[in-house]
Amino acid sequence: MAASAKGTRQSVGHNEVRLAWTLISPTALIVFSLVVFPAIFSIWVSFHDVGLHNLNDVFHAPFVGFENYKQVLNDYAFKFQNLKSIGAALTSVVYAFSATTLAIVTGTVASLLLNQPFKGRGLARSIFLFPYVAPIVSVAFVWRWILDPRTSGVANDLLMKLNLIDTPKAFLATRGLSLLIVILLDAWRYFPFAMLMILARLQAIDKTLYEAAKVDGANDIQQFFSITLPELRYVIGSTFLLRLMWTFNKFDDIFLYTGGGFGTKTLPVLTYEFSFRLYDFGRGAAAAMILLLILAIFMAIYITVVMRKVED
Amino acid sequence: MKTENISIIGQLAAWINWKRFIFSVLMIFFLTSILFPFYWMVSSSFKSKAEIGGREPVYVPSELNLEAFKELFDPNHPSFQNFGVNIRNTLTVALPTSIITVIFAVLGSYAIARLRFKGKDFLLNSILIVYLFPGVLLIIPLFAMLAQIGDALNFNVQDNLGVLMFTYMAQTLPVALYMLTNYFRTIPDEIEQAALIDGCSRVQVIRRVTLPLAIPALISVGIYTFMIAWNEFLYAMVFLNDRFLFTMPIKINTIYNDPSPRPNVVMAASTIMTIPIMLLFLALEKYLTEGLTSGGVKG
Repeated sequence: MAASAKGTRQSVGHNEVRLAWTLISPTALIVFSLVVFPAIFSIWVSFHDVGLHNLNDVFHAPFVGFENYKQVLNDYAFKFQNLKSIGAALTSVVYAFSATTLAIVTGTVASLLLNQPFKGRGLARSIFLFPYVAPIVSVAFVWRWILDPRTSGVANDLLMKLNLIDTPKAFLATRGLSLLIVILLDAWRYFPFAMLMILARLQAIDKTLYEAAKVDGANDIQQFFSITLPELRYVIGSTFLLRLMWTFNKFDDIFLYTGGGFGTKTLPVLTYEFSFRLYDFGRGAAAAMILLLILAIFMAIYITVVMRKVED
Repeated sequence: MKTENISIIGQLAAWINWKRFIFSVLMIFFLTSILFPFYWMVSSSFKSKAEIGGREPVYVPSELNLEAFKELFDPNHPSFQNFGVNIRNTLTVALPTSIITVIFAVLGSYAIARLRFKGKDFLLNSILIVYLFPGVLLIIPLFAMLAQIGDALNFNVQDNLGVLMFTYMAQTLPVALYMLTNYFRTIPDEIEQAALIDGCSRVQVIRRVTLPLAIPALISVGIYTFMIAWNEFLYAMVFLNDRFLFTMPIKINTIYNDPSPRPNVVMAASTIMTIPIMLLFLALEKYLTEGLTSGGVKG
């Protein structure tokens, strides 16, 4: 009896394994051929001289050791030169950290606003999500048109009418200012993501905590710092890390806003330029590897801090 | 005693007003900074050449001028852009991408969420890590790899919408798989167990119980992946050279970089590209925000 039950279970288990592999094989095949293999292959490319000339015979490309890496690390665009041109590596880090911080802070404020009861809250929430949902290409070109360097640009017109500036500014074509504007635009576009995550957590906070605090005579500000913020700590931390990694990887936004010029060249843009402007795929892959190395540090923090916490 | 009471009430009233004041100021700040760019996009698309090229910006177009839209769609316009072809190309890539992604992802994620098999953790972890990978990293090896395969099998890698769709799946499949796996884990196992005990086979359970329950999730994942493909810029830019095959984002970029700037045309094309996405989003917001908070769209 026991043996036969065990036998049936085994055969069910065996069937399940077969079914599992049947179900997963198309996806696994595509993920491995389109993602896992290319990812490993790009390590290989980064150690070889691959260009347009030998793209058709890429597996026989000459091995060049660390030459590509040397070229990237010595490149003017990569290295820190002076405070005016800090190089792609540092630009990436500065951009990712400040844009993420700003998006999280703005998202927190927005989520606190939407957590208040008021008429039209549902509509307000939909509108707050607009920047995140709209296609990046449309968003980028509207902002470029708003920030047009001529007097016909609406930002220049408004700022001049308010007497905040005397002459029109080239917002996206001035060293220093451009990076700041790109960071602000990034926060504008990505705060809704943080907002949604934080809002979901806010609505899950036990209401009796606030009632107890009120009984104890705590005011709104005290309640915020002693109840709300501690409750949000974890979601803010994990959202920060997730957004940090995605921002660090971002290509579209900066490329569309400035083309990577005027001190806004990040590692993804540099990778693109090496590969598809200079058609030096080896050097591009090496730049991507350096990008990945920095990303791996963020990932390690994410996995050890966030994923472990989830398991708890 | 009484005066003390009144002053407390007075303070309370002032406090509420102060709080409301900050709330209103912040709300107005958020709403204007969010809505103004969208207003500017739509209104600019209706401006005439004179209104767009003046010394000062025109805040409200004098009339609904269709010049920009004529340039996009009217074959008789001197600089006709043939934008209809670009819309068609985008749909040709985005629709199959999302349909195929959903089909593959639903099968795979069910297996990951429900069935026990060796190598599951490895598979799931590698997909999760891929989810955090930069797109620029993958495009170099993909380009080299596909060029090689294309050479061997005699097809063009560039200017091939089928190949482009294939590369989009590298971006959409991990997202879809991740979202749907999370979703299947929220469906109580007991429902399926009950059906299994009633004598249904696994495949029957999937078809009759799990899939009908998962339809809202399938729709939201389908829309997500559709949006990713609809908006995609980098891969399309690298893989497409022929302007008759351009998807909308690449075409808009090309119009923007034209030597004679025509912001009204760029804005008209952007409006056309944005409106369907916003309508889809508003219609299905409930499903989509649930997907977002469960780690949905990467962006």
